[in-house]
Amino acid sequence: MTTPATTLAKQAYKIGTARVGLWLFFLSDSFVFAALLVSRFYLLGDKRPHLEQGLGLIVTSVLLISSFFMNRAEVQISQGNRKAFVTSTLITMLLGIGFLVGVVGFEWGLAPFGPADGVEGAMFFMMTGMHAFHVLTGVVFLFIILRNGMKGRYGPEKHWAVEAAANYWHFVDLIWIFFYPALYLIGTV
Amino acid sequence: MDKKKPVSELRRGVMVFLALAILTAVEYAIGTNEAPTIFLWVIAILKGALVLVYFMHVTRLSGSEGGHE
Repeated sequence: MTTPATTLAKQAYKIGTARVGLWLFFLSDSFVFAALLVSRFYLLGDKRPHLEQGLGLIVTSVLLISSFFMNRAEVQISQGNRKAFVTSTLITMLLGIGFLVGVVGFEWGLAPFGPADGVEGAMFFMMTGMHAFHVLTGVVFLFIILRNGMKGRYGPEKHWAVEAAANYWHFVDLIWIFFYPALYLIGTV
Repeated sequence: MDKKKPVSELRRGVMVFLALAILTAVEYAIGTNEAPTIFLWVIAILKGALVLVYFMHVTRLSGSEGGHE
């Protein structure tokens, strides 16, 4: 016979193992980004790509604000406020798309080099491209939880998917925290 | 339901966001004024730690905090 205590213990175990799995994924993915970061300093040294400083600050701010709304969305669903969850998730998604437009739509076009124009271009496009791909998958993830949230599938006792999506979004933000100074601020042009 | 929890969590989110915004502004000022690189690394590590602890809740890994399905 299954008692409520047994069910709770099973749920806690399930969530615990899911969290470990998610963080193992973050750990493995961070090795890819760490390799890119090390490559940037090995290949370019104290030289940094010539990029639009203002645009770099804008896209960084957009991603930072999106992380704030993602955190807000997770807190709201954990308290059963579905409407606020949907609004915050939607804002996060739109800011994520804004970040992609800023980097891929503008920065890639404004960069005075192409991906095949030496190590500078190769590093810049590889680092921003890999990160942008993660932002794109994050936006897809957010769309899924937004749709499910609108259907009322999450609540205070059941929102693991929201926690996972939020953590993934913050992970993508965490990567940019190190990529931004490496690409835009450290070194001389 | 505990009504104090959501308010404090939302407030904490605002405080962390403000700290990250200030650190980003300082980072930009340092980076565009040719200051020593070490400061940029220190700021990046501080920002990363804030995100890891307060937004990603890394401490949940070692306990039963935030139990839900």
